[in-house]
Amino acid sequence: MTQAWIVFTKELADALRDRRTLLRILIPALLMGPLLLMALSGLIASFEERAEKREVVVYGADNGPTLVNYLQRQTYTINSIKGDVLREGYEKGLREGKMAAPLLVIPADFEAKLLAGEAPVVEVMSDSANQRAQASVGAVKGLLYGFNQERASLNLAMRGVSIELLKPIDIEERDLASVQARAARLSSIIPMFIIMAVLYGALTAALDSTAGERERGSLEPLLMNPAPHGAIVVGKWGAVALLGMAVALLSSLSFVPAQWLLRSDSLQAMFQFGMPEVLAFWLLQIPLAAGLSAMLMALAIRSKTFKEAQAGSTLIVTAISLAPMVTLLNPGGEAAWYLWVPGLAQNTLMLAVLKGETLRWGQVLPGVVVGFALTAVALFYVARSMRAAVAR
Amino acid sequence: MIDIQDVHKQFTTRTGAGLFKRGRKSVVHAVQGVSVTAANGRITGLLGANGAGKTTTLRMLAGLLAPDSGHIAVDGIVVGSRESAMGRPEPAQPPRGVGGATRRTGGTLAALARMGILGDAHGLYPRLSARENIAYFGRLQGMELDAANARAEELARLLEMQSILDRRAEGFSQGERMKTALARALVHDPANIVLDEPTNGLDVLATRALREALRWLRSPEGGSKCIVFSTHIMQEVEQLCDEVVIVSHGRSVAHGNVPALLELAGEQRFEDAFVKLAFPEEIAA
Repeated sequence: MTQAWIVFTKELADALRDRRTLLRILIPALLMGPLLLMALSGLIASFEERAEKREVVVYGADNGPTLVNYLQRQTYTINSIKGDVLREGYEKGLREGKMAAPLLVIPADFEAKLLAGEAPVVEVMSDSANQRAQASVGAVKGLLYGFNQERASLNLAMRGVSIELLKPIDIEERDLASVQARAARLSSIIPMFIIMAVLYGALTAALDSTAGERERGSLEPLLMNPAPHGAIVVGKWGAVALLGMAVALLSSLSFVPAQWLLRSDSLQAMFQFGMPEVLAFWLLQIPLAAGLSAMLMALAIRSKTFKEAQAGSTLIVTAISLAPMVTLLNPGGEAAWYLWVPGLAQNTLMLAVLKGETLRWGQVLPGVVVGFALTAVALFYVARSMRAAVAR
Repeated sequence: MIDIQDVHKQFTTRTGAGLFKRGRKSVVHAVQGVSVTAANGRITGLLGANGAGKTTTLRMLAGLLAPDSGHIAVDGIVVGSRESAMGRPEPAQPPRGVGGATRRTGGTLAALARMGILGDAHGLYPRLSARENIAYFGRLQGMELDAANARAEELARLLEMQSILDRRAEGFSQGERMKTALARALVHDPANIVLDEPTNGLDVLATRALREALRWLRSPEGGSKCIVFSTHIMQEVEQLCDEVVIVSHGRSVAHGNVPALLELAGEQRFEDAFVKLAFPEEIAA
């Protein structure tokens, strides 16, 4: 045990002295997440701004005074575009993503056809690659349906038919998501960054303490000390896992100041990421950091050089970083097996924390069991492989 | 006191693999009957050409490789035996297959604690200072931090490396690296010192300093250490060794002190004597 502690402190001191490597780990781990969060919040803020403005961009407003009148009665202002040059310019803007509102085109024969009951065609122009404009299409279409409804009701009422006939059912929307759950849709990127932080923190240390040590030629002298292999491996693993945990902690802490900078007020009110969440996130990483560190070490111990080990670890790095993608690609719901896959389990649990759910032991336990089982197997393998590594 | 009796070791390697074809397996007899007896207070040299089996023998002594057969004991503790109790030699475990790397036994650990080994790989930790490199191994040998530090300073005086003691190993020269590695191997004041080609890459001054240090360690004031070192350099053997074991093609072919070996070969120059003893078939041809 003492020997494991000696190895642990040495490995930790060794890794912490490698300032340049540490800095290169910390920059992506600490800055990328908050920056992305702020960018996303900017996008959402612009949606909100648009919704608050209550403005419709119309081409040919003079052609349809009835429709324009309806829009104005809904307290929308009309931003009228006149002339083909301006219209083409606006369409170009939509395609290039500069314009953030769809264009409502009213044809010249609108009023005449409306009176004749011939259903004039109104176009809502947008570009499906332009996200901001696309988001407002729904609102404009809603307005047009409202207009339809009003016209139809008036026509029926004039013929003495009850309006109720038009509405066999009443529709009312009710959002079951809590405030936090809505915000979680945005903050679902946070777990991904924290899992990556664990990986970044553990990766270099894991490779350096195994393949690196072998490449430097210091593994053989180390094994000539009368310390059991198990103690050496446990000491090394402890340092690697702790580094992964440290970077993960810093990464989750970095989101706390980041949320103060959120540009959208409503978002800021919804986004709950305080110290309890940081702590919960951090504790959830323990099995991941333990298992991941041991696995990276097991992979690297068989490699003769740092370079070879790095190539070998690509598989784990890719698998772990893609784990959160599973939830994004399959939003149909969380499957029970998620909780048994390292990385995915942590992602699922962190999302639950963000939604404000209380975690049950049944949810947490599978990840812990898998993480520590993985640790035990991998460390056993490393200890066994160590002498084989120098014997060749 | 190091006693190596008739050790054997063979490796399997692949030869001449092509792009689509795996190489044939072939067995290399690295060591086939090396015996070395090194007494306390003496410097025993393992002299042999490149590839003669010196390093493999010393790696078996360090417990990194398990010998296929034979017997290795350090101060009466059999390397590879189960028992760690001193003075109660146990029979070595049966051979563990080619290149077998299994758990180290209590006997190996106890033997390692009585040896200071400077192998052919002697990498340092570049981000630790020389002192920390030395103290780390001292602590793994079971020393307290203070004791390990004190010992590092003592060794720095012996090896004339005080000026680099608190510098990081990053920018060390070959000689400075070798001195640090040697100090690291000697930190626990072992009764037996094993050096694998320690003068490789050292300049004249550094070689001289090393020689002086070894002489001192052999003397009663230095602790009458049992020193075993391997080399292929005749001069070193002539100047330093009390006892020489000539290793050739994996076998120990002759042993004795320098004058005895000269007499045995009937030669005036030690180099001629070595060639005659190590490669008799080439002389005959």
